[in-house]
Amino acid sequence: MAVKVGIPQALLYHEFGSLWLDFFQNIGVAAVLSGETNKQIIDRGMALAIDESCIPLKVYLGHTASLLDTCSHIFVPRIAQYYPDNHLCAKLAGLPDIVQNTFRLVKEKIISPNIEDRSAATTLQAIQTICQPLGVSTIDGQQAYYKTLKNWQKAIPPGLSQPPRPKIAVIGHSYIINDVFFNSDIKRKLKSQAVDIITPADLPNKILYEEAKEYRQDIYWQLSLKLAGAVRHFCRQADIAGIILVTSFGCGPDSLVNEYLEHHILKPGNKPYLLLTIDEHTGSAGLITRVEAFWDIVERMLKLEGKLSPHGLS
Amino acid sequence: MKVSYPHMGYLSLPVYHLLTNLGVEVVAAPPISKKTVDLGSLHSPEGACLPYKITMGNFLESIDQGADTFVTVCGAGKCRLGFYHAIQQLQLSKLKPVEFCTIDVDHLFTGLYHCLQQLAPQAGRLAILKQLAITIKMLKALDDINSAKNFYGSRSDEPDRIIDIAAGSAGKFMDCRTFRDIKIKREQVIESIKLLGEAAGSQPPKVGLVGEFYLLLEPYVNHQVENVLVKQGVEVNKFINTGEWVYANTLLSFLGLYSEEKAYRQQAKPYLNHHVGGEGLKSVGSALWCARHGYDGIIHIYPFGCMPEQVAQYALKNIAQDLEVPLLSLSVDEHSSDVGVLTRLEAFVDCIKRKKKGK
Repeated sequence: MAVKVGIPQALLYHEFGSLWLDFFQNIGVAAVLSGETNKQIIDRGMALAIDESCIPLKVYLGHTASLLDTCSHIFVPRIAQYYPDNHLCAKLAGLPDIVQNTFRLVKEKIISPNIEDRSAATTLQAIQTICQPLGVSTIDGQQAYYKTLKNWQKAIPPGLSQPPRPKIAVIGHSYIINDVFFNSDIKRKLKSQAVDIITPADLPNKILYEEAKEYRQDIYWQLSLKLAGAVRHFCRQADIAGIILVTSFGCGPDSLVNEYLEHHILKPGNKPYLLLTIDEHTGSAGLITRVEAFWDIVERMLKLEGKLSPHGLS
Repeated sequence: MKVSYPHMGYLSLPVYHLLTNLGVEVVAAPPISKKTVDLGSLHSPEGACLPYKITMGNFLESIDQGADTFVTVCGAGKCRLGFYHAIQQLQLSKLKPVEFCTIDVDHLFTGLYHCLQQLAPQAGRLAILKQLAITIKMLKALDDINSAKNFYGSRSDEPDRIIDIAAGSAGKFMDCRTFRDIKIKREQVIESIKLLGEAAGSQPPKVGLVGEFYLLLEPYVNHQVENVLVKQGVEVNKFINTGEWVYANTLLSFLGLYSEEKAYRQQAKPYLNHHVGGEGLKSVGSALWCARHGYDGIIHIYPFGCMPEQVAQYALKNIAQDLEVPLLSLSVDEHSSDVGVLTRLEAFVDCIKRKKKGK
């Protein structure tokens, strides 16, 4: 089989996907994505995963399964920690082992570099882990990596360029917010109103971490810290009409961090907010009803504040 | 200042002993009961794991008795444990202004020392160190008694009496002042257990108990899994013992002689190759060790939704399959019942006994 690297389009892909794709392009290796989440992928993932796993992990396994037949290698990086004292969730630290224990692949098929800190040695080792099985020299890999990283860090999120309209901030882990399976209902419902959706992905990471500085002593999960930054930022923007916090059932960090965010930011923030918990059994109807009810409240507040015409939107 | 702490198996008594001997006013929470679990669940985020809810219940019950300062842990890395105190303090502060004294588990020795200094500012440095050493000694003695109970209990005709002796033994250490006292008491108890257990006879089936720290240590929460097995004539080997753990993680790791992560990373290969927080790596390492050392079964017990143990479960499934060891996974939450767990344990014991006979 010709060398082709498969990247499951789930979990941290939504965080670092463009970096990975550009990197593989720069070292001249073909990389393919598993595509957007669909019913088949979810069903497959649910069958493969342990029942208790969170839905994003089940989705990930479904994506991985769909790549196995067509790809010579699967890219499953282990990103356990990057900044000191700032961990990622246990499932992300154990991801290659979960994949390996689920599919029992030959060792060469799975490319899983370890990211445990930000030292040059770790980076070099990670690059070597990727390049060696693909027949690329580590030196070339290293060059390509730093070039890709530079461009990736410079890239600015597209942002919104429409005239200022009321905005709803939809906040959650990127692998939930950016996955069609989870967000389509929410997005469709809100788009049918005259409202824009804004997510943490529309902001540069720098702003998010800057905003979250205050919570650093308590929150030690990197992705949760980012969410805290997003919630704080959006709470303080005048053009944000409401905040929807989306989380998956069984997400360990979220189960406690949401409580923290509610107490420290959302409640004192005086903006309407909604906590949505999603799992594989969530029906569209239930979700839509809640988003609708939430929108009713937001709409009323906007009318009271005179930001919408009293005759409604239609 | 009235200090309280969450219950965790036989850890409670030595901690009580430690604090009172240092002149701290202690309010021990009532033993864990259904009320504790219900109360804790009521005041916890619904998605939080079971140890969170029960320790919350402990705190709430001790607040009723006048406690205002709580000893708890922080900084456990990828697992949720280290974040408990931030949320628990938020929730408790709604009821009453409370103080938290947190011990950083990543630096257990210095963490413990600073915490004790804060609680007992009048106590001297040497007194603190001495009391700490006595507490560790006591915990290790209790570990030994528990292991003796599991060993002789499974071979005895009167396992209930042995279980009673072991359960009552913790109280006997309360007036111990020196290492010698502890040693004598320990030997007395173990001797009386030995007398009841006929060490001869055939080797009973042997089960390795692995899983999450809190669940393994607190018998109320794990539905007395050890005693249930002992009563059915199964020898249980638990891979987490309080005293040993505290000893290894305070003194030895402070001196740089021990690193839990290193010790188990090697053992868990090739099923799990990275530290995933909590006891994930340890569960896999111990289970693999059991499977390779002729154990008749493995019981994996953890709170529902525990992140590290879920990662471990992917590995355990394959270990059980590859090495042909029966595996029972018990995921426990506040709705689990004694009967449900008992039924599954009985079925599991039947299974391993039949398998052993067939060999």
